[in-house]
Amino acid sequence: MVQFHEHIITDLLEDPAGGLVILSSGLSLPKLVSSLLSLHSPSQGTLLIFSPPPTLKSLILHHHNTNPNPIEITADLPSHHRLSLYSSGQICFITPRILIVDLLSNKIPTSSLAGLIILNAHSISETSTEAFIVRILKSSTQNRNQNNSNVFYIRAFSDRPQAMVSGFCKTERLMKCLFIRRLHLWPRFQVYVSQELEKDPPEVVDVRVPMSKYMVGIQKAILEVMDACLKEVRKSNKVDVEDLTVENGLFKSFDEIVRRQLDPIWHTLGKKTKQLVSDLKTLRKLLDYLVRYDAVSYLKYLDTLRVSQSFQSVWIFAEPSYKIFDYAKKRVFRLTRSSDVKLNEQSKNKVGKKRKLKGDDSNEGEADGTSSSTTSSGVVLEEVLEEAPKWKVLREILEEIGEERQRVESGEEDQVESEGVDNGIVLVACKDECSCMQLEDCIMHSPRKYIFLMKVLQEEWKKYLLSKVELGGLPAPEKKKAKLKPKEPKGFGILDGVVPVTTVQSAEASSTNKQEHDVLLAAASKIRNQYKRGLVVEDELQPLADSSKKGAKEKGKEHKKRGQATGQDSGSKDNDSNIDTVIKDLPEISGSKNKSQTVENDQAAIDGYYEANLQRASVNKGALQRHAEELGLTGSRNAKPIPPVHFHALESDQPILDILKPSVVIVYHPDMMFVREIEVYKAENPSKKLKVYFIFYEDSTEVQKFEASIRRENGAFESLIRQKSLMMIPVDQNGHCLGLNVSIEPLGSSYQNSTRRAGGRKEIEKEMQVIVDMREFMSSLPNVLHQKGMSIIPVTLEVGDYILSPSICVERKSIQDLYMSFTSGRLYNQVETMVRYYRLPVLLIEFSQDKSFSFQSASDIGDDVTPTSIISKLSLLALHFPRLRIIWSRSLHATAEIFASLKANQDEPDEMKAVRVGVPSEDGIVENDVRAENYNTSAVEFLRRLPGVTDSNYRAIMDGCKSLAELTLLPVEKLAELMGGQKAARTLRDFLYAKYPTLL
Amino acid sequence: SSVQNNQSRNAILVSHRQKGNPLLKHIRNVKWAFADVVCDYLLGQSSCALYLSLRYHLLHPDYLYYRIRELQKNCKLRVVLCHVDVEDVVKPLLEVTKTALLHDCTLLCAWSLEECGRYLETIKMYENKPADLIQGQMDTDYSSRLHHALTTVRRVNKTDVVTLGSTFGSLSNIMDASMEDLARCPGIGERKVKRLYDTFHEPFKRVV
Repeated sequence: MVQFHEHIITDLLEDPAGGLVILSSGLSLPKLVSSLLSLHSPSQGTLLIFSPPPTLKSLILHHHNTNPNPIEITADLPSHHRLSLYSSGQICFITPRILIVDLLSNKIPTSSLAGLIILNAHSISETSTEAFIVRILKSSTQNRNQNNSNVFYIRAFSDRPQAMVSGFCKTERLMKCLFIRRLHLWPRFQVYVSQELEKDPPEVVDVRVPMSKYMVGIQKAILEVMDACLKEVRKSNKVDVEDLTVENGLFKSFDEIVRRQLDPIWHTLGKKTKQLVSDLKTLRKLLDYLVRYDAVSYLKYLDTLRVSQSFQSVWIFAEPSYKIFDYAKKRVFRLTRSSDVKLNEQSKNKVGKKRKLKGDDSNEGEADGTSSSTTSSGVVLEEVLEEAPKWKVLREILEEIGEERQRVESGEEDQVESEGVDNGIVLVACKDECSCMQLEDCIMHSPRKYIFLMKVLQEEWKKYLLSKVELGGLPAPEKKKAKLKPKEPKGFGILDGVVPVTTVQSAEASSTNKQEHDVLLAAASKIRNQYKRGLVVEDELQPLADSSKKGAKEKGKEHKKRGQATGQDSGSKDNDSNIDTVIKDLPEISGSKNKSQTVENDQAAIDGYYEANLQRASVNKGALQRHAEELGLTGSRNAKPIPPVHFHALESDQPILDILKPSVVIVYHPDMMFVREIEVYKAENPSKKLKVYFIFYEDSTEVQKFEASIRRENGAFESLIRQKSLMMIPVDQNGHCLGLNVSIEPLGSSYQNSTRRAGGRKEIEKEMQVIVDMREFMSSLPNVLHQKGMSIIPVTLEVGDYILSPSICVERKSIQDLYMSFTSGRLYNQVETMVRYYRLPVLLIEFSQDKSFSFQSASDIGDDVTPTSIISKLSLLALHFPRLRIIWSRSLHATAEIFASLKANQDEPDEMKAVRVGVPSEDGIVENDVRAENYNTSAVEFLRRLPGVTDSNYRAIMDGCKSLAELTLLPVEKLAELMGGQKAARTLRDFLYAKYPTLL
Repeated sequence: SSVQNNQSRNAILVSHRQKGNPLLKHIRNVKWAFADVVCDYLLGQSSCALYLSLRYHLLHPDYLYYRIRELQKNCKLRVVLCHVDVEDVVKPLLEVTKTALLHDCTLLCAWSLEECGRYLETIKMYENKPADLIQGQMDTDYSSRLHHALTTVRRVNKTDVVTLGSTFGSLSNIMDASMEDLARCPGIGERKVKRLYDTFHEPFKRVV
């Protein structure tokens, strides 16, 4: 346990009523919580924890080492079981939904509860169920508080300071609704924290890798396009300009900023602005992927973007976008006239020589490719396959570490202190599982230096070409696109830049496009044929290998070419070469950094690796265990001076540092949270030597983003500190926090009405009751109704969601629900049963407060009546259920007011009756069914679902025929008469007499 | 009145009160004509609509109530078409909602004249349209139709449908089956047998 965690806990425990802790991300919230939990003793009462997301929960459980383990209360547990757990004095994880239902139905002995822990304070608002629970718990434990014997505490945590400053006075309001008086801020720059973390910091090596020239070009182009898009958004005059900077645009939260501003007026925005907003998101992704993906995958992603988005997107038409596509392509392949081939090869060789001179300058990566050519109509496809500059650097770092360790081991320097460093594992942290696996391929499975880097790329390249073939199978959209693009330039304003370019070049461009397309297809089909012939393994390295294989001379030439670019000396050593050779070789290689040794192709070795690669690809699931296993395997097999490496995906959220105890960490994709975790890890293990490498792309948005994330967090804390100094938290005489009192109605213009009428007093004299379906506790409405002073009775309802009075039954639909349940037909059935059992069946359409109050803007309505439109569906619903009433509510609070005013002159609902509605009794007769007295309802329903029977003829059938059984006996002529047509009659009869398909 | 009857079959009849309402410009997919009608828009034999702008409601809070009171009860569907044309909607909409709900009117909200017009057009055009558009997609092959029909009987599930189908061979045979025959099917208990049998053999109409 780090010391500042102790400080945090001591501070928090000072106030027996609890507090809110906000700490910097990465300062190990799970560890903090588990040490807090270990202080709990059953004599205090039961401790409830709102179930956090699974990853956080498993982390807490991972660190939790005192017995007994927390118990999980789920809906599957029978209620008496739950009751006994509530008074057991243990620690329980529970979901808010179960807790609120049990609380409202008085199943919980609140006196036996010690406190409540909330781990995601940032995602709570006044209307959320969590706040509802706290309010009820606080009011029911109030007496206890006055005696001051054993105060019910609420301890809330958050490690997302940015989220705590979004919105107006968010933290203060949150504290009020959670009845919390104390706010504890623990930023990274807090004295205790920084002292401890900086006392003995890990050794840090900052490696700046220059990006390749094309990467720089792409990045520049994307930023230009983003800037242009932002300028356009600003022009719309609908958004606060201040927040709209390219720097903000690098973060996911940028979308939130824009959406928060635009949501209330979303329907008034033109298509153009909406498109711009989504384009910005696409561009951000492109920027991110540029430093994460290899050249081929990147091109592939761009291609899919173009296919899927070309018609709507605005950004594609901006002038710099052309560069994005062009450079991305140039990183992978280029086309040359076949007459130029020789010349080109020569020039390539030259480039290779240049590289030799330049030594380890990695950003001229374009020459790394094997060039192979596929001839088609005089145009040659030449592979470039630029490798990611970071790959090589990572490799070099690993080798350096390995080398150093070897030196130590072989006893050159017999120092005591270096022993600690020796056998530790090297952890490479990347953002996602995908880059983990790719890096692993690059590093772990390469018998010699650079071949495998190429192999990985070629693998991707092959996949890329194959996918092209598949696209070629449906060439229509491709062609259409090529034709339409120059004709219909859709850009505007600044983004219109590409228009002149396309018109000038259109003819030429389309012809090159076509050539390019043909060549790619040819190359791809070649590969596919190779696969078919089963020559997969042999031909893996060169698409032309099947011809070159025949003549050793040719083959040699091929390899020589590649060797100049990428090869290294391998002599006759193969996969299982003994350690001595390797060690002898190594200093030479890494020392001279000579990349131009010629290679003698060792087919066997490559085959072996390729096969291994294939197998691995098929078992792609990257679980921790698998990584570890493989690690051991390759470690022993390779016997190379690469230290044991583990590749860790930051997305997987595992306590990797504590599990592996690495002595070297290479941060491949910089991430603030992970950096903090490293610091904490080091502080916890002060004796351990730790070296951290950061690999950044120089002058890239990656660096910018990393630095900005730290700045943003600090900014958030500064604002929180300011807020804290100004906070007003109401406190009662006993020093307890008051929170938002039940009797204090939330403010709002709509309240002028009720206050005027009631003279400022509470208008509700008797307590209003609302019966609420259990499933509705996922929403916030029950909470808001309770805030309005209504008493909430949770039950399981067969019909409706809310019962306001014996005659009013409400089915609530959020907008999204409404669309979905129209499509599925659920709404129709729900309304049908409501209409059957209640005099005033109501459909409540509830809009969200912060979204626009309308379905669509006037411009989206279109010229014709279309069956898919929401207007058509609602009209049809109204036509079929003229008795259905519809409530349109602006927000949760508006709904609560409408409910209150509807209930004003009505009787209170009867819980027992409401529960029975729609549930048939033993003999199948449903109580209160208006139709059931007169009709055999299931027979009528059955009849209406038979083919040929329609809304217009089913009544006639019922008039002309007594029962369903009789229907089968009617002759076709009679049926035709009743159903109003021969065709319908025959359809029905065929269906009735159709032979049921046998199971065999 | 027979002339009017003919007209009303294919056109929306608009009250003279609505003269000058810009909404009329947006009724384009359906014919409309002025006529002496109590409601603002007569949309069919059994449906009518009142138009209310929220801004107008703020000035004349009692208008809606008096208009609804005038309407005859013979229309099955009585729509209050509320044009939301103010920013602060909560209070006026609460009043309109309450009035409509307690006086047997269906409230439809629209945010533009285009949308108002589209509701009127749609209700007119869909006057006799079956509800399958909002009943969810249903497959039209034999077994899903059979499943769809048989599951109207409570507690009959997918397996039961297969059991019944393969035992009796056709729907008509199922419907003719005796209680004993039904009871012999595995998985179909006493109550389900009774429900099935009653569905098929009890008359559609209970009243004698």
